[in-house]
Amino acid sequence: MAQTLVPGPEAPSGGSALEDRAARARSRTGLWIALPPAVYLVLLFAMPLLIVFVYSFATRGSSGQTILADWNVAAYTRLFNPLVREIAVRSVGYALLTTAICLAVSYPFAYYLATRALRVRNVLLVLVMIPFWSNFLVRTYAWRLLLSSSGPLSQLTELIGLGQTRLLFTPVAVVLGLVYGYMPFMILPLYAAIERIDLGLVEAARDLYASGTRAFWRVTWPLSRPGVIAGSILVFIPSLGAYVTPEILGGSKTTMLGSYIVRQFLSARDWPFGSALSFVVMAAMLAATLLYFRTGGRTL
Amino acid sequence: MSDVAAVQLRGVSKRFDDVTAVDAVVLDIRDGEFFSLLGPSGCGKTTTLRMIAGLEFPTSGSISVFGEQMHLRPPNKRPVNTVFQSYALFPHMTVHDNVAFGLQMRRLGRDEVRRRVGDALELVQLTGREQRRPNQLSGGQQQRVALARALVNEPKVLLLDEPLGALDLKLRQAMQLELKDLQSRVGITFVYVTHDQEEALTMSDRIGVMDAGRLLQVGTPEDIYERPTSPMVADFIGDTNLLTATVKGDGQIALDDAQIVHAETREPAGSRIVLTLRPERLHLAATDDDVDPGHNALDATVTRRVYLGNAVTYDVRSGEVTLRVRQRNAPGRGQFAVGEAVQVHWASGSAVVVAR
Repeated sequence: MAQTLVPGPEAPSGGSALEDRAARARSRTGLWIALPPAVYLVLLFAMPLLIVFVYSFATRGSSGQTILADWNVAAYTRLFNPLVREIAVRSVGYALLTTAICLAVSYPFAYYLATRALRVRNVLLVLVMIPFWSNFLVRTYAWRLLLSSSGPLSQLTELIGLGQTRLLFTPVAVVLGLVYGYMPFMILPLYAAIERIDLGLVEAARDLYASGTRAFWRVTWPLSRPGVIAGSILVFIPSLGAYVTPEILGGSKTTMLGSYIVRQFLSARDWPFGSALSFVVMAAMLAATLLYFRTGGRTL
Repeated sequence: MSDVAAVQLRGVSKRFDDVTAVDAVVLDIRDGEFFSLLGPSGCGKTTTLRMIAGLEFPTSGSISVFGEQMHLRPPNKRPVNTVFQSYALFPHMTVHDNVAFGLQMRRLGRDEVRRRVGDALELVQLTGREQRRPNQLSGGQQQRVALARALVNEPKVLLLDEPLGALDLKLRQAMQLELKDLQSRVGITFVYVTHDQEEALTMSDRIGVMDAGRLLQVGTPEDIYERPTSPMVADFIGDTNLLTATVKGDGQIALDDAQIVHAETREPAGSRIVLTLRPERLHLAATDDDVDPGHNALDATVTRRVYLGNAVTYDVRSGEVTLRVRQRNAPGRGQFAVGEAVQVHWASGSAVVVAR
């Protein structure tokens, strides 16, 4: 195997100076388009966030008012108490479990979806999005009926002799509700990622002695990773901060961070503590997201 | 070389819903030959190749590779590898990992994988690019990675699906000759799918011409070009003039406008045939006197002249028929103008009679 084939031309080099200049000119016009949403985000997102940040260093007055003086980090030191840790660990656990279940259930569905004819695909995509047409709160209350000890699920288990099921207000109910609520956010990015994969690559892997299973793990799975990462973030983050679902389907033993933060503001009237907690949770989410993107960045 | 066919197709058909993509193909591809499947797009050549690879399964018929039945065997259990039309390189893997893929799937030792990948990359002159990603390579380089990725497995048969289609003309012509050299060096049977007749003629030991799912003719490039057995083959391979005519007997053939020409045929008198005349076998002469003795000659008028540099083509009208004539552009060769009256003439043996 000593002889060689003809050398091909080298890979084409990047853009010229002219193209660079054209790109710069385009980027200037882009500023005007970005301005309105930028203003909107600064006023309604960045500013309130800043206020939360400032409040987290304030002091709670004896009657629950917030004293904007005497700045300190007491709220942050209180984050280390056992109750906060318990709630944080529980929230992360529920969110991880929700993400894992969503991924396991959504992947085969998204794969099926991505490999159908376009017409079938569109119908299925609409079906995925139908739940969004009714209110999340309403749908969560519907789960309450489904899971209650007099509900259809319980009736069914009673009918086949397994006795009543008492799922409502348990961790199972909360995770079930979260999975139900956030599944579409997993399916859609997965679908988008798998749909982009050239099925010819799977054929190439099969031609190169890979069984169907190995072709999946060596080709399809790594190439769908952008979708896995995006979907996982889109499910994990809102699950971690979930408020409605644990409030409606959970009980006192299933309190998650979202509910706990709301309680600081509305019942405990401890705004500095609530602010500090909010901020730390957000920072943790951001850090986790960046880390996740970094590790998956190779395939993005 | 063994007497057993490298690839044997017996009555292989493939239907997609109600479309017959491949229709009862019977074919023996010999050990060590460069065999091309040639035909227009949609003729079933790629589907045939994919059935040999195991990426499609025949609706009926059987396929064997060196005597082993491939029937219903999945692609990963077949001793063949494919170079895909779009290369199908794994975008998330380096050049090295792409080429190593097949060896790793067969669980070869780390050292052997490294050695064989190195050899294969040397063969295609990509040594030193092991750590590149496919998108960092030019089209020609990607094509060679695809080739190395298949050849590294030392398949019994290498299947190539229009592998040069995406390359520019110069590179493609260079690669045609190199591929042919490579094939005789490694001694592997190549089955090459192309719609480019020139490519097929350049590289192949034998060619199978396909159209509408059927294998029309199998033969050497000379067979296919000089002795086409059907109008479609004559038309598809190279430029040709196709004239419908009727056999009169005694070597006489009547064109549809009643002009009589001479050509050899075994078709009985009265049968309808197609007379095929290659443009480069036709000649033009200014007068009767210039016509070579024993040639068929027809009175004609030049209706078009196209200057091609190394040749000049003329369209000439004779009676009801239009003939294309290709003359080598050589010194002393007469030039003719549009509207000029000429004699178009050819040796009787140059005309091939094909049954309709």
